[in-house]
Amino acid sequence: MNNGKRRMLTGNKAAAWGARRAGIEYVPAFPITPQTEIVETLAQWFADGSLKGRFTNMDSEHSMFMAAGAAAATGVRVFTASSSQGILYGLESLYTVTGWRVPFVMVNVSRALATPITLEPDHNDVMSTRDCGLVQLHAETCQEVLDFVLMGYKIAEHSQVSLPVLVNMDGFVLSFSREPVLIPDEKEARQFLPSFEPAQPVFNATAPLARASAVFGGGTYMYFRIQQDLAARHAETVFNETAKEFGERFGRFYEPVERFQTDDADLVFVMSNSFATKGKAAVQKLRRQGIKAGLLKISLFRPFPAEAVASALMGREKVAVIDQNLSPGVGGITYPEIVTALYGRPGAPKKILSVIGGLGGKDIRENEFMTVVDKLNDPEEKGPVYLYDEKDWAQFQALAKIARAEKGGP
Amino acid sequence: MTLHSGEHKKIHDLHPEEAIAPGSALCAGCGGLEGIRLALKELGENVLIANAAGCFTLLSVFPFTPFKGSWLYTTMAAPVPAAQGVRDALDIRREAGRLAEEDDFQVMVVAGDGSSADMGLAPTSAAIHRHLDFLYFCYDNEAYGNTGFQLSGASPYGSATQTAPATAGHPAGAELGKKDLFEIWKAQNPPYIATVSPREPIDLSNKFARARGMKGARLFLCLSPCPTGWGFDPKETHTIAKLAVDTGIFPLKEYIDGQVVHTRVPKKRVPVENYLERQKRFRHLFEPTRQDEVIARIQQGVDSYWAHYE
Amino acid sequence: MLRVRLHGRGGQGIKTASQILGSAAFLAGHQAQDFPLYGAERRGAPIVAFARIDDAPILERGPIAIPDLLLIGDDTLLEDPQVAPACGADEWTTIFINTEQEALKLKDRLSLPGLPVVCSLGPLTRKHLGDPRILSVSLAAAGGRLSGRVSLDHLNEAIDIELGALGLDRQTLKKNQDLAAEVFAALSPAVFEERQEKPLVAGQLKVLEQQEVAQAAPLITATGNMQERKTGNWRVQHPVIDYGECNNCLICYARCPEGVIAADAEGKPVIDYDHCKGCLICAQECPRHAIRTLWERESHEQR
Repeated sequence: MNNGKRRMLTGNKAAAWGARRAGIEYVPAFPITPQTEIVETLAQWFADGSLKGRFTNMDSEHSMFMAAGAAAATGVRVFTASSSQGILYGLESLYTVTGWRVPFVMVNVSRALATPITLEPDHNDVMSTRDCGLVQLHAETCQEVLDFVLMGYKIAEHSQVSLPVLVNMDGFVLSFSREPVLIPDEKEARQFLPSFEPAQPVFNATAPLARASAVFGGGTYMYFRIQQDLAARHAETVFNETAKEFGERFGRFYEPVERFQTDDADLVFVMSNSFATKGKAAVQKLRRQGIKAGLLKISLFRPFPAEAVASALMGREKVAVIDQNLSPGVGGITYPEIVTALYGRPGAPKKILSVIGGLGGKDIRENEFMTVVDKLNDPEEKGPVYLYDEKDWAQFQALAKIARAEKGGP
Repeated sequence: MTLHSGEHKKIHDLHPEEAIAPGSALCAGCGGLEGIRLALKELGENVLIANAAGCFTLLSVFPFTPFKGSWLYTTMAAPVPAAQGVRDALDIRREAGRLAEEDDFQVMVVAGDGSSADMGLAPTSAAIHRHLDFLYFCYDNEAYGNTGFQLSGASPYGSATQTAPATAGHPAGAELGKKDLFEIWKAQNPPYIATVSPREPIDLSNKFARARGMKGARLFLCLSPCPTGWGFDPKETHTIAKLAVDTGIFPLKEYIDGQVVHTRVPKKRVPVENYLERQKRFRHLFEPTRQDEVIARIQQGVDSYWAHYE
Repeated sequence: MLRVRLHGRGGQGIKTASQILGSAAFLAGHQAQDFPLYGAERRGAPIVAFARIDDAPILERGPIAIPDLLLIGDDTLLEDPQVAPACGADEWTTIFINTEQEALKLKDRLSLPGLPVVCSLGPLTRKHLGDPRILSVSLAAAGGRLSGRVSLDHLNEAIDIELGALGLDRQTLKKNQDLAAEVFAALSPAVFEERQEKPLVAGQLKVLEQQEVAQAAPLITATGNMQERKTGNWRVQHPVIDYGECNNCLICYARCPEGVIAADAEGKPVIDYDHCKGCLICAQECPRHAIRTLWERESHEQR
């Protein structure tokens, strides 16, 4: 085990290495910041012969996801990547190919959505794919990006899952940050993940088939949708089996959720993706200040690991769900999912607060974790709490004055 | 089925086997169905159809398929990208030794004019640009037929559609002209483009026979008289299709080796109004008052097209 | 509540009939609801539409399984198992059939729960409109009269509204209203008893197991099985080849969009009536005029 080599890699490079170690054969690609480095890297490898197969420059994400699904339905191992507006543009195709029940892995490099247009990260893009039937793994580190891509194929191609898998990482914060990443040895990677053996018939002239024909009558439609739900739910079991095998082989163990000092915590932050690192640092500092904080990181977001979430949070007094996304008129998108997981359970937290922060690349500063603690302890605070303060407001006012050509601007 | 080779000269040369089984829910008298029926007779069963949302979605309704080959329902804008994915995957498998020769097939996109001229056009252009090896069959009924006949980029000037009705303020109905997909495709110089008519089975079959052996993007535009949307008795589908050719409104031609060749040139063109007056979508040009200006403009469009070649 | 279900074929105006009925009920001061069921059906294919009429707010939606008034516009549908127009009718249902056949015979042959009201709308429709196939007004008038809920004035006003919206001129509207008046006069209101409310009974849910993906994904591995769907019942008219005149040129075969004409061993064209939708292109295109057309009913009688 661990015969690989350790290198300084960005999250994007880690994704590309994950795909390379997975023995991918096909990449339909389309550029978008901050994902582009992934497909550039893969294009280079196909061009220099390091990877065998095809790299096809597509004309849009809508086309790209369709080509990805169609190629998977024809029996090759497919990888693709996108971000933000590209995810929205391709959403129709994503719904389409998840319904085909074809396995492939895609990476989403999270970036906030227009309007206003920005390049910086938050999670509204990946949340827009929440209901389309993708299995979703959310990465905190560059190593997780690589590992989740490898594990992703194993889960996607499992005969009782047969669904595309999305691996999520934060734009900029992870995609362009370099940190040491262990690239597994190729032979070991292929032992963990052998060649693609399709679990269902693929297109062959000698065995023709019609895929995704129209249905009439809700009963037929509902049958296929229930089957999709059952397969997606089963993906949690397959995730656990895969994580176990991965851990035994590579020494890195993953669970659907990571409990960081939650067991004796009075209050818990629920987070996902790269800012969970900052949350963990805050937990350590708060504990040194005598506050028993903990952090629950959601790694497997779809299927939603409700049992694992509940068992981690039951018995804890207060929970703050920090969403880096926003559903206008509702608040944080994962907040209701956490609340639902705990509903009616003995020992459910007395207070669960929705916190919105880090939108469009806004930092979550370490002091803000203490602000969240204050809000958790404030019986009047019902939420949602926006992590937006006087300093942010003053900065905006200065800009607004310029926008309005008012005197007295900086 | 074994395929014919060589030139078709008469009806008896058409491949006797039907590649599309009956029973589908397409309208009685559908001109587009006749077009694809004849095309598949020529192409045989080793074809995967990547279908765009449209009337032909009804060809395969779970658990039924009329095809002996494969079918993939996609979306309105993405049948061509699906063809790309399938073709790429076949090529990858062949190079990796994972595709038996008899498992290979032709990929054919089937799309209506709405998909072809509107939201599917950019992906098609991209695939021609990429030299994708595929066939493209556009059944052109000059509107969004499956949703009840609304204006598409291929609706001709002077036709009435549900979203460009003829009214006192807009006496012509559709005031925009039909996009010329043939010329749009041609600008990218694909190996083969043809227009085909369901009324000309020999011409159609020979064109598919020629394209069958080629590589790259091979695109077909099939004018598809639509009894439901155009407003004529279903038995007149071929009458209308023939008039489209005889009036010169729909030129039968092909683009091959950089040249446009007309495969049927009407000797003496029938006046366009003979074609228009038989269809409800043009009735407002004749009733309650005759709109000579609109009719003349349509005639002029046809005349100036042919003047270019005469 | 009066629940009305209408059966006919695409192109006969069944949806319009349901709308005339709905409008007439609305104009008469009732609560009303009308809607067609859209599927993959096309011109000539069997279609179904519905109307609900009540004095209390209507708290029902969607198709009507057990109709109080069943309006069957086309008697060629009666014995079609795919359509089963009498399905759900019980002893409280008034069944109206547009037919020349006798009520008692139909009741016996089709095991109907009661004696149907029969009337041949074709001749009346032909007399006023020139085409016996258009049922929008005649079927609505029959339904309106049988319902006992609308007057002829309401019906006429509804015809103005619904057919006027389709762009019909004054003269044509008048012809339709004359037709409505004649149908109205030919029938009398049926008696409808309010159905006894049945208590709600919980059913057993099917707990689905996860299935192999080949079954769980929308996938068809059969080929060419579309032909199991018989589209012969779309036909309103029926092409018949006169082999005395036919010279086996096979133009009919070449022109048939459905591909349901094939040459037999002797090279003669043969029509597959199980699937022929009756577009009549073959008859139109036959250079020797060797294909006759019969109304579907005439062909039934000849068979």
